[in-house]
Amino acid sequence: MMHAIKPARKLGVFRRALAHRLLSSSPLAGAEEAVSVDIFNPSPEHAALREMVRSFVNAEVEPQALQYNREERFNHALFRRAGELGLLGVTVDPEYGGAGMDATAACIVHEELSASDPAFCLSYLAHSQLFVNNLARNGSADQRARWLPAACRGEAIGGMGMSEPGAGTDVLAMRTTAKKQPDGGFLLNGAKMWITNGCVDDTQLGDLYLVYARTAGADVKPSKAVSLFLVEKGMRGFSLGQRIKDKCGMRASPTAELVFEDVHLPAENLVGAEGGATVCMMRNLEIERVVLAAMAVGIARRSLEVMNSYASERKAFGQPLSSFGQIQRHVAESYAEYMAGKTYLYQTSNALDLESAGNRLDTDGVKLFCTTMGKNVADRAVQVLGGYGYIGDYVVERLWRDSKLLEIGGGTLESHHKNMVRELAGVQRMP
Amino acid sequence: MITRSAAHSRVHRTFSRHLKVMVGVKRVIDYAVKIRVKPDKSGVETANVKMSMNPFDEIAVEEAVRLKEKKVATEIIAMTVGPTAAQEQLRTALAMGADRAVHVVTDAETLPIHVAKLMKAVCEKESPDLVILGKQAIDDDSNQTGQMLAALMDWPQGAFASAVSIKDGGLEVTREVDGGLETLAMKLPAVITADLRLNEPRYATLPNIMKAKKKKIDKFTTDELGVELKQHLKVLSVEDPPKREGGAKVESVDELIDKLRNVAKVID
Ligand SMILES: Cc1cc2nc3c(=O)[nH]c(=O)nc-3n(C[C@H](O)[C@H](O)[C@H](O)COP(=O)(O)OP(=O)(O)OC[C@H]3O[C@@H](n4cnc5c(N)ncnc54)[C@H](O)[C@@H]3O)c2cc1C
Repeated sequence: MMHAIKPARKLGVFRRALAHRLLSSSPLAGAEEAVSVDIFNPSPEHAALREMVRSFVNAEVEPQALQYNREERFNHALFRRAGELGLLGVTVDPEYGGAGMDATAACIVHEELSASDPAFCLSYLAHSQLFVNNLARNGSADQRARWLPAACRGEAIGGMGMSEPGAGTDVLAMRTTAKKQPDGGFLLNGAKMWITNGCVDDTQLGDLYLVYARTAGADVKPSKAVSLFLVEKGMRGFSLGQRIKDKCGMRASPTAELVFEDVHLPAENLVGAEGGATVCMMRNLEIERVVLAAMAVGIARRSLEVMNSYASERKAFGQPLSSFGQIQRHVAESYAEYMAGKTYLYQTSNALDLESAGNRLDTDGVKLFCTTMGKNVADRAVQVLGGYGYIGDYVVERLWRDSKLLEIGGGTLESHHKNMVRELAGVQRMP
Repeated sequence: MITRSAAHSRVHRTFSRHLKVMVGVKRVIDYAVKIRVKPDKSGVETANVKMSMNPFDEIAVEEAVRLKEKKVATEIIAMTVGPTAAQEQLRTALAMGADRAVHVVTDAETLPIHVAKLMKAVCEKESPDLVILGKQAIDDDSNQTGQMLAALMDWPQGAFASAVSIKDGGLEVTREVDGGLETLAMKLPAVITADLRLNEPRYATLPNIMKAKKKKIDKFTTDELGVELKQHLKVLSVEDPPKREGGAKVESVDELIDKLRNVAKVID
């Protein structure tokens, strides 16, 4: 039988391992060290971050994942705990309550969380990247000082509204409008669809949202017509349209439709320049695609670990599954694809400057490759486990369902194709 | 001004003013790694193996940090003896809350007596009021360093501490001994070694991981500390423990006694 990581406090795990160690004789450790450049953990701080998140995941994320996903509940307490550990503001300046780290650090957290609970990680992503990082990169100093500290501590939960019922891939066709008022403020009308963290349970909104809306008429071209606003829970006319239930996967991550009816936004809630939100959107979508790829890498890693240990322990026809050629192909191809994806991921994140925009090709490419890779590896894990793979206790069926979203959210596979080919049109020599 | 505690003349600094704690941290193979013996039997495989802070040392660091949070300790120094890479474990201790670190850099195999002598040299430089070590390291399981250090310094010791409190300017240490708990009162400076139940260590938070980067690590060689690493032991061979043979079910107590006597030969 294989062993799924069982709910256990860190010390519980350690105590058991220690008991095991003390029973067996312990040879002296040798002294040599392997020194190599590790692109997955380019600095000691990255390595320490990964280590810390992994301990947090083993002790606190893994034990709740199955239940919260089954019940379609968001674990708000766990979210606040992530705030205590300083994980909600990874890429934010320490001045505003963050850790001042880079895109690779963000990938590390997403990879580690997603190896256990992709749904919790998706809500983490919507908060820490789509809201927090978006405001940290595109907001003014006043706006950052006003909203980021509480968001970094986890006292406020945020999200981002771009998609609409009638506009997804074709996002600039959005119909939500913000009309300028004589007092300098704006009047917001419309609806946003599929908003992660749009609610925290069946009836309550989250706290803070960055919402894209048209601020110019049909005569202005779409790329100059969209602005970004900060919308707060409690503003008159802002309500929860519906909580979207019964998703295929990502069930512990709440998704909602947000409705705006004559919501009055003060001028201070305009983020960036009026009509200048397209570049904010593109910049934030770049890091979003990269951390979504990191989530897929986390799913692949866990699936691979599960299938690898199962294949060597489970016997059929008197032999371990790993002795059968077809199973060997599942395991070996999964490993090679996982390593290829992970290497592409960290290669891309190590080169991504969060202040820049226009990093299309590889942020699209890495999400295109990794998300399908993650889904395929999860699928092979279910296949290798047979019937056991098809039930919740063995984790991989949940990862398999969650993995599909990554091919849709943050840009569909087809949108990556389209954008990459446009970028590649100008490239003669490949790297 | 340093006031003297009348009751404990050996405590040259009272707590309200200054209490310096030194904690030992050792770089070991991570507890979750499956240990593999090298093919040439010279030791265990450490190349590309995950290394971590000895878990008992994490408990020692945590205890020091709690003493500081209770405003009992005023400064925490983490110290290690080990290769350059052991800096990672010092950074972990700094991220958990130690203020600065001392690294005795050596690639040599060290025995508990070497480490105890090096710690003594550091104690003489730093004059800590309290040294907290793990009760043992999970690589060699020696369980000697703390006791040796106490002897070398001629300080009281509380090994296998499961609770520590400050009382009347001294320490009260609860120890887990066979058959119960023993409570010792001791004066400072002292050495204690942490048992598993002393506390549950925290995770270093991300902001603290970043802050640790800026904390100071002083480096020394063994020569600078005047300690010679004389090798008293030679490892002849390291081998895997024998594989366990599968058990068998018995039908009755009589059969069990018979098997214990005639097959296992553990009773006559
Ligand atoms: C669980 C979940 C969470 C989400 N969270 C958020 C969120 O927090 N914020 C947010 O703003 N949005 C969010 N989304 C929305 C998500 O980004 C969109 O679903 C996605 O962009 C696709 O848009 P759509 O669903 O309207 O599909 P459509 O754009 O209608 O696409 C339908 C199909 O047509 C294809 N297609 C469309 N245009 C082209 C083309 N030009 N060429 C070829 N094929 C094309 C697509 O690839 C797809 O296969 C979330 C979605 C889900 C499911």
